[in-house]
Amino acid sequence: MKTRTLCLAAAALMAAALALPLWGIAMSAPQYPDETLSLRITRAGIAGDVHEVTTLQHYVGISFPTDLPELRWATWIIVVLTASLVAAAFAGAGAVGRVLRGVCAVTLLAFLLGSAAAVQARLYRVGHQRDPKAPMRALHDFTPPLIGPVRVANFTVWSFPHVGAAFLVAAAALTVAAARRRDDSGGPRSGDRLVRNLGADKAVA
Amino acid sequence: MKRHPVILVGLTVVATLAAAHMIGCGATRSARSISAEKVYVAPGELDKYYAFLSGGQSGSVFVVGIPSGRLIREIPVFEPRAAYGYAMHETDPRRVLLEETGGLWGDTHHPMLSEKNGVFDGRYLWINDLANGRLARIRLDYFEADRIIKIPNLQGAHGIAVVSPDTKYIVVNGEFEQPTDGLVTNPAPYTSVVAFVDPESMQVKFEVRVNGNIDIADTSKDGRYSFSTVYNLEQGRDMGSMIQYDRDAVAAIDIPAAEKAVAAGKGQARNGVPILDPEENPGVLTLIPVPKNPHGVNVTPDGRYAIAAGKLSPTVTIIDAHTLKIVAEPEVGLGPLHTTFDDRGNAYTSLFLDSQVVKWNIDKAVKGTGDYIVDRINVHYNIGHLQAVGGDTTHPAGDYLLALNKLSKDQYVPVGPDLPENQEIIDISGEKMRMLASFPTPPEPHDATFIAASVLKPIVKQVYTPTDDAVQAGTESVVRTGPHAVAVNMTLIRSAYTPDSFEVKEGDVVTLKVTNVETIRDMIHGFALPDHNLNIALPPGYTKAITFDAGKPGVYWFYCTNFCSALHLEMRGRMLVQPRDSTVTLTDWHAGANVKGQVVPGVPSTGDKQ
Repeated sequence: MKTRTLCLAAAALMAAALALPLWGIAMSAPQYPDETLSLRITRAGIAGDVHEVTTLQHYVGISFPTDLPELRWATWIIVVLTASLVAAAFAGAGAVGRVLRGVCAVTLLAFLLGSAAAVQARLYRVGHQRDPKAPMRALHDFTPPLIGPVRVANFTVWSFPHVGAAFLVAAAALTVAAARRRDDSGGPRSGDRLVRNLGADKAVA
Repeated sequence: MKRHPVILVGLTVVATLAAAHMIGCGATRSARSISAEKVYVAPGELDKYYAFLSGGQSGSVFVVGIPSGRLIREIPVFEPRAAYGYAMHETDPRRVLLEETGGLWGDTHHPMLSEKNGVFDGRYLWINDLANGRLARIRLDYFEADRIIKIPNLQGAHGIAVVSPDTKYIVVNGEFEQPTDGLVTNPAPYTSVVAFVDPESMQVKFEVRVNGNIDIADTSKDGRYSFSTVYNLEQGRDMGSMIQYDRDAVAAIDIPAAEKAVAAGKGQARNGVPILDPEENPGVLTLIPVPKNPHGVNVTPDGRYAIAAGKLSPTVTIIDAHTLKIVAEPEVGLGPLHTTFDDRGNAYTSLFLDSQVVKWNIDKAVKGTGDYIVDRINVHYNIGHLQAVGGDTTHPAGDYLLALNKLSKDQYVPVGPDLPENQEIIDISGEKMRMLASFPTPPEPHDATFIAASVLKPIVKQVYTPTDDAVQAGTESVVRTGPHAVAVNMTLIRSAYTPDSFEVKEGDVVTLKVTNVETIRDMIHGFALPDHNLNIALPPGYTKAITFDAGKPGVYWFYCTNFCSALHLEMRGRMLVQPRDSTVTLTDWHAGANVKGQVVPGVPSTGDKQ
């Protein structure tokens, strides 16, 4: 696959991720047979069984985040990265193109790591910043893992990256692959070349 | 070591007896366990069929799972039912309708399912009220009566039937004969009518006059004829004169011929319904003579025969359903009342006096061969209707049969003098019938019908779609609409009412509209108001409006009657009825001003000001 194609594919995946659910929550309990409650965190907000989950949460004093500022800055980063990847696709095999692709790869990886940390922090707050006046006393502080289940009262709550997040990871993989190429016909470049590209980036700056 | 012969013999005898005992016990257990397995539906597993049993004088329909015999639901129809908040309040439109059409009770007899291509499609169930001449339609998406009509010009709406194969009409038989002009002083013999009701509009399209008491109904599978048993052709008015004739009749009404006569204006309109007089319209009605005072009539699944049960005669009369000629009249036992069918050419007739179900082969009985009786099984006791799964359709299942017995006597632990009714589930899949299980019900199922759970699965809804006039969360209000009138728009959801308190004044008429804004199944809430004779039940998505007098000054706690959540007991609120001259307000939700609530769903919106 050509470097340009890799970059454009990565850009397309990132653009698509903007419209797709990024994170998912699935909740099951004995009295919800065959009707697992699910929430999808999308760029536009939270979708799914919001009504039911909102109804339930006041029993245990979990405050449902109605506003997620993380999503706003994530949107901007995704938009800028998408544009950068398109630019990188047409920046040619020269130094400018290589640097641009390298910057994209590193930024995207950093963005993914940062997002994971942000999600985990948010999950921690959900489990710890609870209303002390909540009616139910049967709950201790909890931290849902980034990926996986946690027990909250009578519910087993699963947290997991949704399709949009998978697209971002795939975009990152394609971008890294693109950044590791010398030119369109070349094979994979060694890691040190990537580092050198970064150095070039600094030099340019 | 030498053994004593006596001991040896003794040991042998003991061992033999023990072995025989074990075999005996094993055989008994085995028969019981075979029966038990056929009706055992493990917790969490679902029944294969719904059975709809008429509630008789309960005025309702019982929904029972088959084969388990578990009572799953009662559908109130002609009688108010507090538990479902059905027709409980004076201003409830359903109660008003019941009062207008004949009263707050009914005697339901024959549940009939809508058909498409000769099989049940799961859209509607019709049920009659014998006592007050009514017909109700139950929607099977919500298991709820949506139409109730009074049938004009008849008293005693007894047998009903759906006109096969596509539910063109509901046939309703008038059992209690009346003066033809409705005038008590008319000395002429009383007559009655068979009514033909449109299934969608529930309008009575026409009626056909029949002399005598019109009893049980069925229709030919091609929709040509309706068949009704008629007793008392004598037109007697006391029992002695009702049983004089040797033969009464099955009345076959040619439906296309009747439609043609009605279209030609041959009907005499009475109470808005054209009545056809058969004497003036030859060809509409054929009376087929059968032994006197017959009871049930049932058409075979292949549509060839209509079988009338003798009741006082130990016979069934087999009538060709196309030529209307009698082809055979075999003896089946004492007190034959009703017949149902399997998928293998066998008929099953209930024998009221013998307390039996008799299984007989239709072809053999028609041919007159002697061995048409296949099997008999005892039932407990005095069976009325019986119904095999799909026996009314062109495709009987041939697996289960329900015997609806009139007396239970010794079948259940004694519960005082008012005994339950006894239904028995019989396996008819083999050559011999096998009694499987029984279950009691309140009084008093007459007839039953079945539909496969798989047919209703895509149809049944478990949450109401909110109507346009539903109260939305966030739009709750308490509004004074007149000097003595207050309108309260309320929502409820786990575990709170919004508003959770409202104020009115002594002498106010309160119009309360309340919506359950839950969206999840089985989250039913109630609204009970003490000392106001008021309870309503609100399944998810449901809206109900009621009007009531505020009553004496005081604090009245309304509360949730359907256990809903961990805060169910806390789910309550106050109606504060202030003296007329009071000038203070106690809450944000007083009727002195138009207050809109700021609502967080599920969280009590306001507290006391004081």
